[in-house]
Formats: sequence, structure tokens, C-alpha cells
Amino acid sequence: MNSQIEELACLYVLDQLGEAERASVEVRLTHDAELATAVRAAESALEDQVLALPRHEPSPVVSMRIEAEIEKLSPSETRASLFSTIARWGIAAAIAASVGTLAYLNLNPSKGSYQPHMVLVGLDSANSTLADLPMVQEPKDADASFIQLASLAQHYWKKPEELPVKLAPSGGGSGYALFDEASNQGYIAIRRLPAPEDGQRYHLWLLDTATGNVREAGILPAADSSRGLYFFSVEPGVPIRSDRLNFFVTAEDGSQGVPAQPRGKVVLGDRRI
Amino acid sequence: MANAPESNKVNEEADLLARVGAGDRDAFREIYTRYSSPLFSLGIRLVGNFGECEELLQDTFVKIWRNAASFDSRKSRPFTWAVTILRRTCIDHLRKRRIRPISAALPEDLLAESSVAGNGRRAAEAHEDSERLKGALAGVAPNQREALELALFSGMTQSEIAQRLEQPVGTIKSWIRRGLLGLRSTLNETAS
Repeated sequence: MNSQIEELACLYVLDQLGEAERASVEVRLTHDAELATAVRAAESALEDQVLALPRHEPSPVVSMRIEAEIEKLSPSETRASLFSTIARWGIAAAIAASVGTLAYLNLNPSKGSYQPHMVLVGLDSANSTLADLPMVQEPKDADASFIQLASLAQHYWKKPEELPVKLAPSGGGSGYALFDEASNQGYIAIRRLPAPEDGQRYHLWLLDTATGNVREAGILPAADSSRGLYFFSVEPGVPIRSDRLNFFVTAEDGSQGVPAQPRGKVVLGDRRI
Repeated sequence: MANAPESNKVNEEADLLARVGAGDRDAFREIYTRYSSPLFSLGIRLVGNFGECEELLQDTFVKIWRNAASFDSRKSRPFTWAVTILRRTCIDHLRKRRIRPISAALPEDLLAESSVAGNGRRAAEAHEDSERLKGALAGVAPNQREALELALFSGMTQSEIAQRLEQPVGTIKSWIRRGLLGLRSTLNETAS
């Protein structure tokens, strides 16, 4: 094959041509079989090289963000979840394992009578510290809300220095619980939390500080690692005002099943706020 | 020349893009399933940062959704078309940040992370591909390889590459051609 044709084909495929030259090649491609063949060969070469790169996977949240974005572009279309067949728990588990950074959510309050928000409770070995996180806009549906929640949880997981609460630099564990009261879903992040003693399990609790009512929010997975970001959901119950929410973690006797009330030692956070 | 299975795949993906252009979400999901990992891998190579790359991948797929109706299979193959969108998105991003990779070498930590991405089988396949690429690259003349890598991964123009490598533009064009087509031959040889 003519090396000049090959050269042109390679530069075209590598997007190395100026606009006019590129347009000219595209016109030629409709009737110049030799050039078309050279372009196909260069495309195969490029694709081989891309496919042979060390493989990386984007986190599952990316696809959800794309769906949310294209939903905005085509509001008249019927909404269908991009990965509706994937259980939300599965997505959450994958997010917890991911190391990708997610989009930063602008937390500046917007004007208006209603301010959508999430609640973040900083947890260390001695205190719980509440922070209200105003959102720019109200999520349009449950998926958008979940994306927002997951994005924010991962953002703080990657950049704990940007947490809006201060955590005591003690020798014990620390972390935060991020909670969306509208969906009763949240994330808890833990760092440097010692493994539970034999026979014990760590339970997460949601507390209404005004009434003292407590709801169990899940058992932290027992893992070798003392750190992790975990999704949780709370059974819907009597709504709790966001300024009265608190979370804490206790070590409970694993042989007693799931206790209705916390009995064990508080290992993260505080029952008061 | 494309072989029959490759040609079938190209035609199938062109059909998928046509459906995406008509607003078919299922077709879009299929394109995402097929392209997200290789495009993300290329994006990592271009920008070297997972978080930024995820945002750029998102932008790329939104562009694919928006522009699928204008895809013309006479001008390019579907995957190459998607690669071009991703590269332009990443290069625009790097130019805005005024950051441009100086070396085409892949950071060791990214290589390490690739081994934990996905399931074991996929990671093993990815590792095998990576080794195959390393082997193939070793078979390409260093000057051709460097010119090709700069053209593909740095976002430099031919003139910039010529300046960088202190060679005439004509030589750079020739090196890029020999590097790209030579690499394909070597990859094919190692695969067979």
C-alpha cells in the first residue's frame, strides 16, 4: 500500500489532522477505497493498542451519574434505570470497595424556602458532632438522591480533611455517618476502629436526641481491616428532625441476636450530642 | 483488513450506535458495557488520575449519547469514534489545567491498581494484555514508539512532537505510521 496513504490514515485515526484536512479525508473516505482500507487498518491498530492497555474499571456510580445526566437531556423519555437489574445493595458494596473519586457536590445553600439537605454526624471515640449539609437542589427521584448520597460519602472518604466536623485526634477509632432522612439511607465510614472482641459485633444505632428513641441501623461487617465505608438503611419509623439525629456504634454480645436497645459499650460516637 | 468476526462486531456496534442515536437506552447500556472499561483504561493512561478520569468518562458517554445520531460508519469504526471523543475530552481537560504528561510511562501505582480492578479472571486477562503490549512495544523501534506514544497519549500535535523529538514533521509522520502499523503486526504475531 502507498505509504503516504497509510500515513494520512494513521494521522486521521490518531486525530492528528487539522479540521480542514480531517474534513477532506472524511469526504475522500466515501469514494476512495484505498484510503478507506488504510483507515480500517490504522483503526484496528489503534484499537489493539487501547485494548492491550492495563485494564481499569470505573466505579458503578459512574454509570448512574451518566444516566442522571442523560435524563436531564431527554426529560420526555421514560425513565429506566441504567442498571436496574443490579441490586442497590450490590451497588453500595461496590462503591465501598472503590477507590475512585466522585464528583464534588457544591454544598453552598441555595435561595428558597425549602433547602434539601443531608445530615453528617462525625464520630470519634468520645463524641458525636452533627453537621447539616445543604444541597444545591432537591434530587428529582430516589436514584438521584442515592447518587448524591453515595457521591458525598465517597468524597469525604477520599478527602476526610474536608469533613465539616472536627474529629478528636485520639488513639481510638473515628469516622462519620452520612444520612439522608428522606430515603432513610446512609453511609458510615470508619477508620482505625479496633476489631471487635471475640463474640462481639459492632452495631450502628440511630438516636432521636429529644426523645431518646433508638433504632438499630445495622451491624458493621466484621473484617480484618479497621477501616471501611459501608452503606446502611434504617427501617422507616417516626420521622426524626434532622437537628435531633445522632449515630453511635456499640459493641454488643453476638450470641444474643440483634438487641432492641443498645446494651454494650459505646465504641464510636456518643449517645449524647 | 478486518476478519469476519471483527467485521461482525463492528457492524453490530454501528447498529447499536444507530439505536442510541434514536434514543434507545438499552443500546446505550450495551455500548457502556462494551466500552466503559477500555475507555476508562485509556483515560487513566491520558490523565493519570482515577477521580478525574471518572468525570471525563462520564462526559464522554454523555457526548456519545448526544452525538450518536451523527455517527457515520464510513468515516470511522464505532470504537475508534468513541476513543476519539474520549481523547479529545481528556486532552481538553489537560490543556485547561495546563498539565500535560511529559513521560508516556505508566505510573507504577496505576499498574498495581489494575491488578485489583474487576474480578480475578478479568484482572488476569488484563494482565496478559498488558504483558502482550509490553512485549509488542519492545519490538517497535524506540523512536517510532516514542512518536506514537506522544501522538496517542500526550495530546501533542505533530509539530509539537517534532519539536520535542527534534526531528522534521515529515519524519515524525513516518515514525507514527511505522509505530502504529508495526505495533499491530507485532501484536498479531504474539497473539497467533
